[in-house]
Amino acid sequence: MTTQIKEEAPLGKIIVITSGKGGVGKTTSAAAISAGLAKLGHKTVVIDFDVGLRNLDMIMGCERRVVFDFINVIQGDAKLKQALIKDKRLDTLSILPTSQTRDKDALTQEGVEAVLNELKQEFDYIICDSPAGIERGAQLAMYFADEAVVVTNPEVSSVRDSDRVLGLLASKTRRAESGAAEPVKAQVLLTRHDQGRIDRGEMMTVEDVLEILAVPLLGIIPESQAVLRASNVGTPVILDDPSNASRAYADAVARLTGEDVEMRVGDEPKPGLFQRLFGRSA
Amino acid sequence: MPTHQTNGRSGRASVAARPFQLRGRFITAVGLRLEAESLDEAFYSMLDEQLRSAPQLLLDAPMLLDLSKVPGLTDTQQVRALVDALRARNLQVFGVENATDPQRRMAEELGLIPVLIGRDAPVEKVGADRRRKADKLLPPDNLLMTQPIRSGQVVVAERGDLTVIGSVSSGAELIASGNIHVYGNLRGRAFAGAYGDETARIFCQRQEAELLAIAGIYRTSESLGDDMRDQCLQVFLKDDGLKLEAVT
Repeated sequence: MTTQIKEEAPLGKIIVITSGKGGVGKTTSAAAISAGLAKLGHKTVVIDFDVGLRNLDMIMGCERRVVFDFINVIQGDAKLKQALIKDKRLDTLSILPTSQTRDKDALTQEGVEAVLNELKQEFDYIICDSPAGIERGAQLAMYFADEAVVVTNPEVSSVRDSDRVLGLLASKTRRAESGAAEPVKAQVLLTRHDQGRIDRGEMMTVEDVLEILAVPLLGIIPESQAVLRASNVGTPVILDDPSNASRAYADAVARLTGEDVEMRVGDEPKPGLFQRLFGRSA
Repeated sequence: MPTHQTNGRSGRASVAARPFQLRGRFITAVGLRLEAESLDEAFYSMLDEQLRSAPQLLLDAPMLLDLSKVPGLTDTQQVRALVDALRARNLQVFGVENATDPQRRMAEELGLIPVLIGRDAPVEKVGADRRRKADKLLPPDNLLMTQPIRSGQVVVAERGDLTVIGSVSSGAELIASGNIHVYGNLRGRAFAGAYGDETARIFCQRQEAELLAIAGIYRTSESLGDDMRDQCLQVFLKDDGLKLEAVT
């Protein structure tokens, strides 16, 4: 069955943005990464899997344009084309919002698969914004993924939850279950990085986090007022005024597309740490 | 078709009016195999002795005469005497098995059923028991994990050792009937000798465990002590206590 699907839809790459823990910056990162990919000219769609807690469309600044949603498409009440919202800033970017009134039980594996297969025909990148937790919504968001971006804050509970999610990516996805040659490629995106707090011992160091998670580092996003400001005005941070955070996201997006970009920490980089990180990413 | 409608459920009445139902039945019968054709005094005295030693076993039991060893026994009078003698002892003879053609005719004459089917149940049962015992002697099945063990994962080596190449996160569990080897940081829980093997050991490159247990005797991170933390060590049972020893 798997090979058949591969033959039918060879195009788009499905990337899930997940974390386990809530409030670490999944939706912000999903918005920034999808906008960044679109900015590079890749046809990109971002799907909100957080059924019942519609947030992505607000961060993308299109909440007033939502007519049909992901659940309508899954249940056959609307066509995919009707539900997709084209971004006004980037014509390569589309948003598939979710329902505010339904819950995660409205998602079915067959329905999600059908929508993703249809999107694969048209888009280069399909970004799935996972809900927090490890229940049905999160599992369906990751199930069909080719790659995963695990958003983690440098603190113990977030790292623990990310570790749990990495375990699920290695066991509860289609690639894992079908014994595919390549497992889901998982990378960690460290958000809310604050060198000052790390130096004071209030946060874990990048090395500590990577040592526990044992997966490649996609990027380090500094704690920044720019992120909050961009969310409030409904602009993906990457499209907002230049800031350390938007530069860090742009670097992460470039790495996601396979470019080799030097790892830099936006807030007061220290030579020692800098060197070690570079050694890791190489 | 005439039906007796004794109640309002007429639809069912016609079905219930059927005068019989066919049901499959398996019954257990005792087979009496005659070893010699001479049914003399010695035969009956042996039989009585058997009945005395195990009266409950044979009382009222349906009985078959197994004629496989006595193909020459065709004297109707002699067999009738045997059947009467058995019935007098409360043994319910109803048929014969392994009968030759003349014996079958004789049996019909005596009102016995020549049974053509049936087999010896106890013999087969013994064979099955032996096979089951052989199944228990399974070879050891060691388990090798080459990926890091994540929080929430449980890895079980039912019969043998568990080896992990990589780290074991806190919140993960390793369970093995034998030894546990971790080539990495052991931050989770490890249960070696899970089925009571007190000689099982745990080895790890760097110990930051939440819990270590061998054959049910455990210590948690609080009681493991700070001096053994972050060490490369082995854990084993000694004098009913869990002992940690650095491997140098």
